[in-house]
Amino acid sequence: MNYVIHILIIINIYIILTVCTNLLVGLTNLLSLGQAAFYGIGAYLTVLALTVFHLPLIAVILFVIIGTALISLLIAYPSLRLKGDYFILATLGFQLIIYTILYNWVAVTRGPYGIPGIPALKLFGMVDISGLYPFLILSAILALLVVFIFYRLIHSPFGRVLKGIRDDEIAVLSLGRNVTKFKIWTFVISSGFIGIAGMIYATYVTYIDPTSFNLDEAIFILAAVLIGGTGNIRGPVIGAVFVILVPELLRFVGFPDSIAANMRQIVYGLTLVVLMYFRPQGIAGEFKLQ
Amino acid sequence: MILQFIVNGIILGSIYALVSLGFALVYNTTRTFHIAYAAIYMFASYMMFSFFRTLELPLIISFVIAILATVALSLTIEVIVYQPLVNKNTSLNIIMISSLGVMIIVINTIAMFYGNETKILNPDISESYTFGNILITYTQLYQLVTSVLIIGIFMLFLKYSNFGIRTRAMRDDSTLCKVFGMDIKRMRLYLFALSALFAAVGSGLIAYDVGFDPYIGMPMLLNVVVALIIGGIGRFEAPVLGGFIIGLLQALTVWVFSARWQDAITFVLLILFLLLRPQGLLGEKQRAV
Repeated sequence: MNYVIHILIIINIYIILTVCTNLLVGLTNLLSLGQAAFYGIGAYLTVLALTVFHLPLIAVILFVIIGTALISLLIAYPSLRLKGDYFILATLGFQLIIYTILYNWVAVTRGPYGIPGIPALKLFGMVDISGLYPFLILSAILALLVVFIFYRLIHSPFGRVLKGIRDDEIAVLSLGRNVTKFKIWTFVISSGFIGIAGMIYATYVTYIDPTSFNLDEAIFILAAVLIGGTGNIRGPVIGAVFVILVPELLRFVGFPDSIAANMRQIVYGLTLVVLMYFRPQGIAGEFKLQ
Repeated sequence: MILQFIVNGIILGSIYALVSLGFALVYNTTRTFHIAYAAIYMFASYMMFSFFRTLELPLIISFVIAILATVALSLTIEVIVYQPLVNKNTSLNIIMISSLGVMIIVINTIAMFYGNETKILNPDISESYTFGNILITYTQLYQLVTSVLIIGIFMLFLKYSNFGIRTRAMRDDSTLCKVFGMDIKRMRLYLFALSALFAAVGSGLIAYDVGFDPYIGMPMLLNVVVALIIGGIGRFEAPVLGGFIIGLLQALTVWVFSARWQDAITFVLLILFLLLRPQGLLGEKQRAV
């Protein structure tokens, strides 16, 4: 049972990651290979909020969202001046730069040693949130909240402009919309909320090190979104469930542990290749990658 | 002391130049963002390991067989994955994501069979020459000579041979090439084969020096892409220039700061170029699209 709850918590974290990334990939056609960086920044900001400022839960959430969003603004501004492959490369570059900083700035992040013993989140400043069930509830509430916010966002006028940019940028431009401004907002909103996933991860595992937020993780998040499907809410949620659940099912098929990790990766890779050929919009998406 | 770092930088740069040229060969002509190139590069080292260490064939023979095996892998990827997508006329982003999937598959298949730990081709310490106070190992000398030789021959080939002219034509306008009746499908096969050859040679030369694990491809790919961008997309001299610049820069980073900041400095350079000179050093001025 504990195992099932653990899996559910991880799924909730990935739902936040994929739903946020989908706003970039599926709504605005901006393939970003840098989202794991914001996941990591969220996690490290959580540690800052808990150990230095001793903030209660709600304040930590706001601190992490705003902090991550502000840092992402620094990255959004230069990256979004670029298009196509160049934008992907810029996000990839920033992903690697942030990873290197987290890894090498030992005085602040403890670098490769990681940060152990992260204190628990405090509800109303007194009740500790720790243990499996409280985390299941917390992560489920936050994931639902993110899904709700992004659902409203996609179906708002803002979301429709984004879809317009995705399908025909020049047309939106000619209608007098400031495309760059919309793209920057998209990037900042997506990254800011990804910070929450980092917060849940850091306080749940109570240990973080930079390797959890490297390029492989960024690729994994993007793969999850593309497998599930892009352009709506259903797709990324299914993607998150798929990439977490299928490997666990593989475990019951009886692969030895030594090759299980590689086998799992091969399954993602194969799914990606097959989907891109037969169903470029992903399992349940509505937008075919352009 | 600084001379030593510059020499090391040039030697490392020659490998980057060679591997980057292989990537550019595919990217400039077909616009395929060939991420699987990372896996192809890594695959060559493992093939060499199999023939040289496991089957104990002579070094040169295992090198040649490893190159052939790598070319075969590259062609397989082109035929099974890229060709069907191109025939369907899909977007380049989809091809890129497929390539990412292929890379994941190849890397993990290799890791499953050979394990995740670092493998070593040459357990001995290479003998070295000293010129004044600069020290160069035999292996480094082979690296420099081989890559410069191959790059030189290829440049001549590109300029004067029929194939070279076709390649440059495809770089300029691949649709027009089709209109004039060029066999694009066959050209793509040649290009993918040749690019795998460059990757395999670079991979073998590095593997003989420092060893390898299944994850060496990605860092190499990243350096190679940065080399291509700062050199400039389009001209085939550009990735060579970029490769040497990256090699020198990384060697100097080690000298000034430490090896830990190599990646950060490389990618700061990438972003500076993307923002300030997206066409690269040798590229013609155009909008970054």
